[in-house]
Amino acid sequence: MTDGRLGRREFLGSSALVAGTALAGCAGGGGGTTGGSASSSDTIKIGVLEDRSGNFALVGTPKYNASMLAIEEINANGGIDGKQIETFAPDPQSDNQRYKELTRRAIEQEQVDVLWAGYSSATRETIRPTIDRHDQLYFYTTQYEGGVCDRNTFAVGPTARQQLGMVLPYLVDEFGPRIYTIAADYNFGQLSADWVRVLADENDAEVIGEEFIPLSETSFGSTINRIQEADPDFVMSMLVGANHTSFYEQKASSGLDVPIGTSTAMAQGYEHRRLEPPAMANIYAGVNYMEEIPTERNTSDGGFVDRYFEMFPDAPYLNEEAQTNYFSVYMYKQAVEQAGTTNQEEVKAALESGISYPAPEAPEGSEIRLDPETHHVHHHMWAMRADEDHNVEAVDDRVIEEQFLSNTVDCDLTQEDEETQYTPQDYFEEAG
Amino acid sequence: MVNAANLFFQFLDSFAFIVLSAIGLAIIFGMMDVINLAHGEFIMIGAYGTTLAANAGLPLPVAIAIGVVVTMVVGLILERTIIKRLYERPLDSMVATWAVGLALTQGARIAFGNSLSSIGVPFGAITYGEFSYSMYRVLLSGVAALVLVGAYLVFTRTEFGVRARATIQDADTAQAMGVETDRMYTTTFVIGSALAGLTGALYAPTMAIVPGMGSSFLVEAFVAVVTGGSSVLLGTTLAGGTLGSINALFSNLYGTFMGKIALLFVAVLILRFLPGGLSGVVTDLRERLERESV
Amino acid sequence: MSGAENGLLELFDRLCEPFNGSNTIGNSRAFWVGAVVALAITFAYPLFVSAYQAGNTALFLLYGLLALSLSVVWGYAGVLSFGQVVFFGFAGYTFGIVSINFGSTLGTTLAIPVAVLVATAVAGLLGYFMFYGNVSGVFVAIITLVVTLVMQTFMAQTAGDEWTIGEVPLGGFNGMPGIPNLAVGVEGAALTFSGDIFYWLVLSTLVVAYFGLRALVNSRFGYAMVAVREDEDRVEMLGYDIRKVKLGVFTLGGALAGFSGVLYASWGNYIDPSVYSLTFATMPVVWVTVGGRESLLGGLVATVAIEWFRQQLSVTGSEWAMVVVGVLLLTIVLALPEGIIPYVHRKAVGALQQRGFVDPDRPATATEEAAE
Repeated sequence: MTDGRLGRREFLGSSALVAGTALAGCAGGGGGTTGGSASSSDTIKIGVLEDRSGNFALVGTPKYNASMLAIEEINANGGIDGKQIETFAPDPQSDNQRYKELTRRAIEQEQVDVLWAGYSSATRETIRPTIDRHDQLYFYTTQYEGGVCDRNTFAVGPTARQQLGMVLPYLVDEFGPRIYTIAADYNFGQLSADWVRVLADENDAEVIGEEFIPLSETSFGSTINRIQEADPDFVMSMLVGANHTSFYEQKASSGLDVPIGTSTAMAQGYEHRRLEPPAMANIYAGVNYMEEIPTERNTSDGGFVDRYFEMFPDAPYLNEEAQTNYFSVYMYKQAVEQAGTTNQEEVKAALESGISYPAPEAPEGSEIRLDPETHHVHHHMWAMRADEDHNVEAVDDRVIEEQFLSNTVDCDLTQEDEETQYTPQDYFEEAG
Repeated sequence: MVNAANLFFQFLDSFAFIVLSAIGLAIIFGMMDVINLAHGEFIMIGAYGTTLAANAGLPLPVAIAIGVVVTMVVGLILERTIIKRLYERPLDSMVATWAVGLALTQGARIAFGNSLSSIGVPFGAITYGEFSYSMYRVLLSGVAALVLVGAYLVFTRTEFGVRARATIQDADTAQAMGVETDRMYTTTFVIGSALAGLTGALYAPTMAIVPGMGSSFLVEAFVAVVTGGSSVLLGTTLAGGTLGSINALFSNLYGTFMGKIALLFVAVLILRFLPGGLSGVVTDLRERLERESV
Repeated sequence: MSGAENGLLELFDRLCEPFNGSNTIGNSRAFWVGAVVALAITFAYPLFVSAYQAGNTALFLLYGLLALSLSVVWGYAGVLSFGQVVFFGFAGYTFGIVSINFGSTLGTTLAIPVAVLVATAVAGLLGYFMFYGNVSGVFVAIITLVVTLVMQTFMAQTAGDEWTIGEVPLGGFNGMPGIPNLAVGVEGAALTFSGDIFYWLVLSTLVVAYFGLRALVNSRFGYAMVAVREDEDRVEMLGYDIRKVKLGVFTLGGALAGFSGVLYASWGNYIDPSVYSLTFATMPVVWVTVGGRESLLGGLVATVAIEWFRQQLSVTGSEWAMVVVGVLLLTIVLALPEGIIPYVHRKAVGALQQRGFVDPDRPATATEEAAE
């Protein structure tokens, strides 16, 4: 290792070593494993970044599957405007870092015409700066806290206000006005809890207690005791993730049987299939879609459920977000055919012209509408109840329009370009 | 207002969770100075083994036994192939076990999907007034105590235990005196894996069975091992008791988030002001008493 | 060789002297010439590739800075820290808070030293707490790991409006968006770093840090660090305060990690609590272990290679990606205990010696003679 003066051959050897290692690292910085070219004029390139490993794999895999189902169906029927769809669909591994890198790659190298990406709100917020910098057309399909008013983002999943607004009034009617909230201790949970307060105020109900639980918590003994002490008429639960699933098991084993309204449980992670009954008994989910919703398009022979399981026979469940991924692909198709081009600005304008689609969540004869001004969807919402044997049935349903951005905030993307997320705290006193 | 009965059961629950999270890790660390970063995955394997067995129709105690055995086998394989090459390199064994953990988690996902159907929690609830508590979770504190007592008996009353303690204290001398230290290490690693598997098996009915489930035990496990100090069993017991009561008290009064923060804060204080850990305090006391009585 | 050539070579040797020593590999003139060539290529890189690839590689390079911070702390002073990402995160968040609050290029310029200072202070505090409390070895690793996990839990729940510093909400789990690009100067006369210029900034910082550390580890303080790593008791008997040495190195590592965090925050214009996750906290340990703990260059090269490799795996979308990473890591730890770069270097030099390209009895340079 301590070499003195050397001849030219060792120079070559050593420098090759050093240069080679440096180059090997750098040269592959994007290296063309997928060719990295823009869509040709004969194809449309769609980017789908959904988690198939890591913490969100359980809820991310159905999203990926449903996107692929829609794309295959469209391709089999002649594509969009005669052009076939090709996909760029890596696995971001539930890692926000990966999302950032892959989003950049999708936009700058693969030059996708449209992008679907991300399960959690954190992921969306991680990549939104990149999306906005490149004015990339972007669909975000997960249920979320609401409030994103962004010219490039079409947040087409249900918002907390829509979901909670479906189930809370029903439960107040059924059981009484005293509500106890338990929520995951991060943005989505805290904002949803704010919405519970707002909705309680609008429905003459009262939040008698609130508890925020860290995402990593798996022991709910003290939480259960506190609920018992407060003795509410019903509980609103916005618990999130595999760790929080333990709450339902422990609640059942403590014999706590208060009715629970939720926006997060059952529809995304199909707890009613994974947990032993009666863990999910008396749970009411306010959702736009679950595998069990009783619409023609969903449950009939050859309907959405049948087609999904035909393509993915080993899939365990068809969850809420999957349907959103599915119909948003079709909405994109509609917009492109209406605009006559894949040029992203013109497609966005087409999307803002009042698109509607006969999605599986809507009963026969009705369609769901994409609101031009807020880029959100006026969903057909359902209140779904699980019984002691974990059979799920619908107890109520109606269309709930997106209200927060439209009515309270006055977000109008057809008039004014924006890239903001609004929270209820700034607009409602009750939200604290 | 602190409800005494609630607090008592919450304490038992917390004690059980901390002790059972830590014991497997503590034994391996105490004996071999190896931090097994795949500890969470061992717990997951125990939970998976139990759940698969129970879902196949076997009664819960049998399923738990199967979960433990499966984890022991995995631990044995790991020790014989990887860990034994890293005896003198504790920091490298950390990286190696982390890599193994990564492969195991994803392997479980590939083999069994994103989640397994859970088994129900047995035994129902203890009711008192308007409150109730899961009897199963309270019983786990009894199991934790049994594990500690059992380990104590093994380490003090059996020949294996004496040899094991000799190896912990001074491996070279022990080897010079005829102890097969390699065999000691393997056996200890297998015991540690078995205990981690037991933890997973016991908690499986109360949790969601997903490949990443082991990570929810890690914080408590690491904190208990570090605050416990050099005496493995005494340390784990004291850590479980001290941190468990802090966690239960603050959870009871202020919610689960404060409970967790309080636990970590107290752990940090112990680390700073009690360099020998909790068991260090006890051994110091004992020595001082001995000296004074002489 | 002519007199002029000799003179040039001597000048070159003298320039390289402070960076040579037994604490680093590659001390020959050949190595340095090769290094200059490699550097030239790396600097020219953005001119030959797309903006995406340059930006992507810039990310790997700033990770390299994080790896260097662990390299010096662990490889040279023997302190295994999982907490480098804590300083990384603190600096990133601070940079975001200060730069967004000021909203001007001057503010962004000020934010850089403030952020690095905060990271350094945190490292100093944590280091003082640990080393002056006589915590050592594996316990340092665990404590730093626990601190990282605490930060993750804590930051994830800072979602509400009450968690706002000045005008900037911490953002909780969703993170802090809108962090501006690095800039130096005042409004109107400023240099903003984005695109290729950002790449060159990162590369320059890395090069400066690398050379600075190389000089440091080959200096007297460097020998003190290595001595502490090898045998603490003996060092104490010789009159060194090992706590001071460790604290000094740890704080330096914190500053480096902090600067890396600033670069990161401005690279993605965003930061979130996932920088405190267990996976990200372990990555520097993985990079440095694979690259060669006792080699600065090793950590650097391994970082870029591993991160590029992991990214490629995720692009393929295969479910085996994580398994492959785990198995690969395992193989390297088992088969190449010293790390890849030292191994490759040793083999390469050995092979060249065998073929007679190198005379093992060649007279050493002055520096090396003195060291022996």
